[in-house]
Amino acid sequence: MFRNYFKIAWRNLLKNKVYSFINISGLAVGMAATIMIGLWITDELNYNNHFKKKDVIAQVYQSQAINGDVGTGPAIPRPLEFILREEYADNFKHIVMSSWEHPRYLKYGETNIYTKGNAMQEGGPEMLDLKIIEGVKDGLKEKNSIMLSKTSAKTLFGSDAAVGKIIKVNNLDDLIVTAVYNDIPENNSFNEMDYLIPWKYYVTKQPWLENAIDHWGNNSFQMFVQINENTTMEAVTSKIIDVKKNASVDEAEFNPQIFLFPMQDWYLRSDFENGVQSGGRIENVWLFGIIGLFILLLACINFINLSTARSEKRATEVGIRKSIGSQRGQLIFQFLSESFLIVILSFVFAIGIVLLFLNGFNNLASKVIVFPWTNIQFWLVALVFIIVTAFLSGSYPAIYLSSFNPVAVLKGAFNAGRYSSLPRKILVVTQFTVSIALIIGTLVVMNQIQFSKDRPVGYDKEGLIQIPVMSNEFIGKAEVMRTQFIASGGAIEMATTSSPTTNVWSNRSGYTWEGKPVGFQEDLAYTNVSYEFVKTLGAKIIQGRGFSRDFPSDSLGVILNKTAVEYMGIKDPIGKYIRDADTDVENREPPLKIIGVIDDIIMQSPYSPVKQSMYAFDNVGTASFYNLRLNPEKSTAKNLEIIKNVFKKNFPDTPFDFQFVDEEYGRKFSSEERIASLARVFTALAIFISCLGLFGLASFVAEQRTKEIGVRKVLGASISQLWLLLSKDFITLVVIALLIASPFAYYIMGQWLQKFSYRVSVGWDVFAIACFGALIITLITVSFQAIKAAIVNPIKSLRTE
Amino acid sequence: MIKITDLEKYYKTEELQTIALNKLSFEVKKGEFVAIMGPSGCGKSTLLNILGMLDDSDGGSFIFNGEEVIHYNERKRANIRKHNIGFVFQSFNLIDQLTVFENVELPLIYIGVKKAERKKKVYEVLEKMQIMHRRKHFPQQLSGGQQQRVAVARAVVNNPKLILADEPTGNLDSSNGNEVMDLLTELNKQGTTIIMVTHSEHDAKFSHRIIRMLDGQKVIENSLI
Repeated sequence: MFRNYFKIAWRNLLKNKVYSFINISGLAVGMAATIMIGLWITDELNYNNHFKKKDVIAQVYQSQAINGDVGTGPAIPRPLEFILREEYADNFKHIVMSSWEHPRYLKYGETNIYTKGNAMQEGGPEMLDLKIIEGVKDGLKEKNSIMLSKTSAKTLFGSDAAVGKIIKVNNLDDLIVTAVYNDIPENNSFNEMDYLIPWKYYVTKQPWLENAIDHWGNNSFQMFVQINENTTMEAVTSKIIDVKKNASVDEAEFNPQIFLFPMQDWYLRSDFENGVQSGGRIENVWLFGIIGLFILLLACINFINLSTARSEKRATEVGIRKSIGSQRGQLIFQFLSESFLIVILSFVFAIGIVLLFLNGFNNLASKVIVFPWTNIQFWLVALVFIIVTAFLSGSYPAIYLSSFNPVAVLKGAFNAGRYSSLPRKILVVTQFTVSIALIIGTLVVMNQIQFSKDRPVGYDKEGLIQIPVMSNEFIGKAEVMRTQFIASGGAIEMATTSSPTTNVWSNRSGYTWEGKPVGFQEDLAYTNVSYEFVKTLGAKIIQGRGFSRDFPSDSLGVILNKTAVEYMGIKDPIGKYIRDADTDVENREPPLKIIGVIDDIIMQSPYSPVKQSMYAFDNVGTASFYNLRLNPEKSTAKNLEIIKNVFKKNFPDTPFDFQFVDEEYGRKFSSEERIASLARVFTALAIFISCLGLFGLASFVAEQRTKEIGVRKVLGASISQLWLLLSKDFITLVVIALLIASPFAYYIMGQWLQKFSYRVSVGWDVFAIACFGALIITLITVSFQAIKAAIVNPIKSLRTE
Repeated sequence: MIKITDLEKYYKTEELQTIALNKLSFEVKKGEFVAIMGPSGCGKSTLLNILGMLDDSDGGSFIFNGEEVIHYNERKRANIRKHNIGFVFQSFNLIDQLTVFENVELPLIYIGVKKAERKKKVYEVLEKMQIMHRRKHFPQQLSGGQQQRVAVARAVVNNPKLILADEPTGNLDSSNGNEVMDLLTELNKQGTTIIMVTHSEHDAKFSHRIIRMLDGQKVIENSLI
């Protein structure tokens, strides 16, 4: 029986090549898109799967309310560690303090690399299950030790053994390699952690780190924990939630809440809104999951529409089979078998398409997805996928076709009925509703990105580079380097900053100023800068001036941005003071005099308002970056060559590392650009599949109306009239789809835009483009068949009847 | 074998109701060859479709092999049909995508005959119909006469007790038509009951009895033996 079914199905496929092509290619493309999205979603959901203990590992997070706005993040104060160890130890298997991932120079012999790593407490390697391939797991026990990743060990020592070797860190300290661990794979937290140094080494490197030991207000550290098996994240959180509030009277006013943020959620659910977890990347997973299903649905709709449209051709067969004794169930089974055959064929092609485009997809999505040939789970899911697709596309046609009355169809009086094409019309409208909504969505995403890109950044980011100088050997050299860089002609100006131009690394509070409202809790972005900061960046002075060597008192000066002046409510700020509010007079820092106000510069998210910021003069040499304005008279390559030479002359053993500020800024858009690129591809696929279906239906309608067209031509209809006759039904359907899709997309995209403070409005132009685009695409698709049918000699078309 | 009593069938449209069968009654005994004649629209084909259990009646009784089948559902009717009834249509109604062999094989598949047995039976019947040499051809590669022989082969391959033939020679020339009628006569001689709808007086003469219909009613019955 099966053979018979497949035989008929196969012969039908061969006989109706155009329809077979449309069905199989549409389904294959749809299935390929769904498979790729499925692989992408699996990859996203498997983030951090490398860590066997991911169910019991958490990062300690903190929420604080500043002026009623609750901010949440991973930065915690040092003393928290001691309270947790002393009073809550029985809840934890490990408590591990950690620095932020930070690049350092690692030098062995002539090899000097600049790479990222963390400082951690001893339990870190065990908690993270680092796979030790050389040395010992407790490699952070001694203060002067270092653990290296396989890659960094290989770069430094080649194939030689690493353990026992001494490497120089930041050209300053000698640390002994105690272990080499396997690299943590991509798609996991800590995957860029190329080395681990002991926490006890790290905290002695700067006075402020040591001072932080009992400073509850210094939220500059990370803490990871592994909870005991007999407890839960929620239970531990409920115990520790108020520890900071209870421990520090000063901090209690910010209502700090300490909680465990499970590793499970780090990647996909990392957003917090007003102290409450509010999603994150998981929304993209849902979004693309839904898009994937829709694309598959579009392909299934093609199958349904073409099968039912062509039902007349199968009607006789149904009649014969019924008269011979076939039951309806057997016919349903037969037609389902056909759809299975087509779906299986399409799946094979879909796998081919996936293999062909997986690299491109990986580039687009910034992934390293490998096709899971040997993953049994994948093939089981694929089987279910085939079955579901076959049922989705085959059920309705099977039920419809098997319902024909044998008497009527064998008599040749096949009449599908007045409303028989209604389901098809509804399905075409569904297809175009989805496609048009995707077009509108993609346009809005692209507009939002462009809108944010066009936003004035407040400085000239072109021709500006930053050189990281976060090691001790650079201390005190900034002035000399500035002189040399300018003298070399590679740069025309240089300024140092304590954080990159494209980020804020420090936030401060605890100030007072004239007119400060009672109870106002300030939160200011804080950056230390050198004299030529304003000039180097090309920032715009609104009031006062920039730092100047002509005014020795500028060493205690501060520049505010426009937002800070409004935020702090200072009238006529120039010459006024911002004072340390510390009640302990001896510890109080000297007041800072406001010498200038600059226009806002975007250092953080280009989608959010610029944060109130202060730029204080760096009189202790805490520079983290040299910012160089390249010489516009020379080419970039030449400038870089000159700058590199100057750098190497002064720091011969240090690798020359730099970033273009405009490129760093551009990275802020990468996440949204990735979404836009993926959305563009999937929208194009949705349109392609929908048009394929429309093309098939148009050719069917043209074929069905051959006689009518012939008669109309004989009676004097022109080609354009016939073209209109055949096209207008489809245009009507697309217009209906437009009317449904537009308000829907308007609402959804309006919701999406809410997450950006700086956002574009969904304008009429987006709908006009989508509308125009959809109609043009439809016309092109349909017209080919319509014109082909209209130009046939009527005598020929009438004779064939 | 067949007994119909007061069989009724109406066709309704929005505006009018047409009576296709008007309290029709007759009986067909096992082994008979009955021809049904009458002008177009008299209800012949409707009758045949009801006898073949492809269509429902609107009233009356239909006893097949001693069983009242009038209220049977589709599944039961399909079951009786596939074991007992063979159809021969005016327009052959072969499945274009299947070869001669596969078309003839089809009824055997539906009654669950094993593959080897099927092959044997199909070959036998193809031999008998003298189209063995065409078994690998598709219907459109055959002449009308050959196609109808395939259709007859398909109708008889599972040894049905009853063959319903609807204008079996209607699309054939006289020579091919005669061949088909000879085939039906031969089958009848071997015990198969045949009910044939026809316009042709010539074909009707091959039968034992002619039932003439008008406006859904039996008007006359002539015995030819």
